[in-house]
Amino acid sequence: MQGIIRTIRDGSGFDILLLGLALLYLIIFSAFPIVYNIIMSLQTVDMFTLTSFNRPFVGLQNYYDIFSQPVAGTIFWNTVKFVFLSIVFQLSIGFGLALFFQQDFPGASYLRGLFLAGWIMPALVVGAIWKWLFAGDFGVINYALTSLGIADDRIFWLSDPNVALYAVIIANIWLGIPFNMILLSVGLASIPRDVYEAAELDGAGAFERFRSITLPLMRAQLGAVISLGVIFTLQQFDLIAALTQGGPADSSNVAQYWSWQFSFQTYEISLGSAVSVLMIIFVIVVAAVYVRSTRHEHSY
Amino acid sequence: MKRVMKWIAAASLLISGAAQAEPVTLDIWTIDRPDQYMYLLKDEFEQSHPDIKLNIKTVQFRDMVNDLARATATGESPDVTYIDNPEVALFASRGLLLDLSPMLADSKVIKKEDIFPGPLSSVTWDGKIYGIPRGANTIALYYNADMFKAKGLDPDNPPKTWDELYAAAKKLNDPAKNIYGLAFSAVATEEGTFQFLPWLQMAGGDYNKVDTEGGIKVLDFWGKLLDEKLASPDTLIRSQFDSTGTFNAGNAAMAISGPWELPRMGREAKFDYRAALLPIPQEGATRASALGEGDNVILAKSEHPKEAFILLEFLYSKMPDVWNRFGFVPAANVKSNDPKTPAIYAVFEESMKYARNRGPHPEWPKISKAIYTAIQSSLTHQSDAKTALGTAQKQIDAVLNK
Repeated sequence: MQGIIRTIRDGSGFDILLLGLALLYLIIFSAFPIVYNIIMSLQTVDMFTLTSFNRPFVGLQNYYDIFSQPVAGTIFWNTVKFVFLSIVFQLSIGFGLALFFQQDFPGASYLRGLFLAGWIMPALVVGAIWKWLFAGDFGVINYALTSLGIADDRIFWLSDPNVALYAVIIANIWLGIPFNMILLSVGLASIPRDVYEAAELDGAGAFERFRSITLPLMRAQLGAVISLGVIFTLQQFDLIAALTQGGPADSSNVAQYWSWQFSFQTYEISLGSAVSVLMIIFVIVVAAVYVRSTRHEHSY
Repeated sequence: MKRVMKWIAAASLLISGAAQAEPVTLDIWTIDRPDQYMYLLKDEFEQSHPDIKLNIKTVQFRDMVNDLARATATGESPDVTYIDNPEVALFASRGLLLDLSPMLADSKVIKKEDIFPGPLSSVTWDGKIYGIPRGANTIALYYNADMFKAKGLDPDNPPKTWDELYAAAKKLNDPAKNIYGLAFSAVATEEGTFQFLPWLQMAGGDYNKVDTEGGIKVLDFWGKLLDEKLASPDTLIRSQFDSTGTFNAGNAAMAISGPWELPRMGREAKFDYRAALLPIPQEGATRASALGEGDNVILAKSEHPKEAFILLEFLYSKMPDVWNRFGFVPAANVKSNDPKTPAIYAVFEESMKYARNRGPHPEWPKISKAIYTAIQSSLTHQSDAKTALGTAQKQIDAVLNK
């Protein structure tokens, strides 16, 4: 007994204890739900059999059912567009703002803090506000566009099937910019000033400094921001629920919302699980790419 | 401390001695807010039935089916709950609801024959009755009589057929003033199906037979309204509540919606609003109307079915007051006590006679999804009405023939 206590207090026992707690946490809150989800995607599950494991096993039938849905292709491409465009613009605008606020001017840090307001707001609230802005008949954006003469006629942002997805993407980009900016600002701040000064003395211009110092040294942060961005974008549910609910005619529907629709609108929980398993696989691939790309990093 | 314990013991002895029998407590689930139906009737019921106490819990409308399913799986279900019309079959088909037929046969309060056929069919599954409608609602055509007058239309002679509806919408439509002819909802949810079905039923068809000539006619008509901007393109994403909001604000001259809108309309609409029966395809066609609202049901596992049924009888006996107090249309053939807005009440009361249930089918949400998907893909011109309804029919058949 004494031995156990001693090893826990100052020995390998302490390491094992800490490791064990972390592992236990991961097993209960991450591994179990994922495994449970995978099991459900291989069974026929409805609301009434949610609490028992004893359910008919159907193999890959649920996956087959998903891919044979007529909207599967639309939703796949919508998800790709949603993630890709959101990330590209969140990252480039966020990076641009981070570089801007890195400059020394009065109030720079206060203004940077203000940008966080958007990130603090719940996506449902953001969705409600964008819904007003985007509204077809009485929306602020349409009013601005028509009175400035940019658009002749109102654009029905949320009910025109050719536009709805992009409206949701615009709102999502706005929501994601502060997060990108803050993370990248931290990265920029950690780059030593003297590297820039040395480069400047060697005659490197602003663009050259950005290309050969900032970008390579920001690689780890950019990788982290991109992979977190992919995960956040694939999680983005509230905004879609508040803005278009995937409509009209599934033109702005994406995988995560589709999964929810299966599980909670038509109660086909096994189909909903199958969609989310596919999404998990995709996120694992993204995470693996990220981990690989930063493996050879050495810190300053 | 000891003395306090003694007092408590003595007091509890006194109380249990005073009450002859232990009062029964019924667990009730409802979607009502504290100023609505069940909460308002709780006190009245407990006063007239001192031996029964009610323990009410509010569940959000959208969570009700999920929560109830989970509760029945874990054995924590209430004694009595609200269920929306189209969901009764789901629970009844799994034997989770109490068959009320034997108690109904003996009841002196509830007469099965008095309940309108639509509401009755919504609580019937496999020939047995599993719930009592708490009231009903349906849809009709609201119109702005002031705008009718301004545009030279006769407010005492609202549109009766689809052609007249189209003509009126065209005349009332005024883009310069931000006024659409008509507001309705074709949203991709149960509400879209709810608004569409009566049109389909009037034109020949029903939830189990959607790929009909009539179905194509309805979608083409709706499409015409949207394409010519007689109704806002946002009709595709607006709920009934949002659509009617534009009518109340004076941005639509007519609106298709239900009696639940009247309290808000009374506050917001600063004009002479009236209601008319839903227009029919042509003179002499069959009428149909939607059937909404929900039912009070007893769970099969309830330990107090007798007391629960007494509650259901009490709630049913309030039917003559539901219009004035809760904004429901009576679901049974009773005389309403001095109804408010009598002209509009008369319209909804008559509509009720044509109201048809959605389903019943235990997998209603899948049927409904097939229908609203067809509406949306046709109205956005992703496919023509015939193809869209054909696809929906295949999906519906797959559900019905399982």
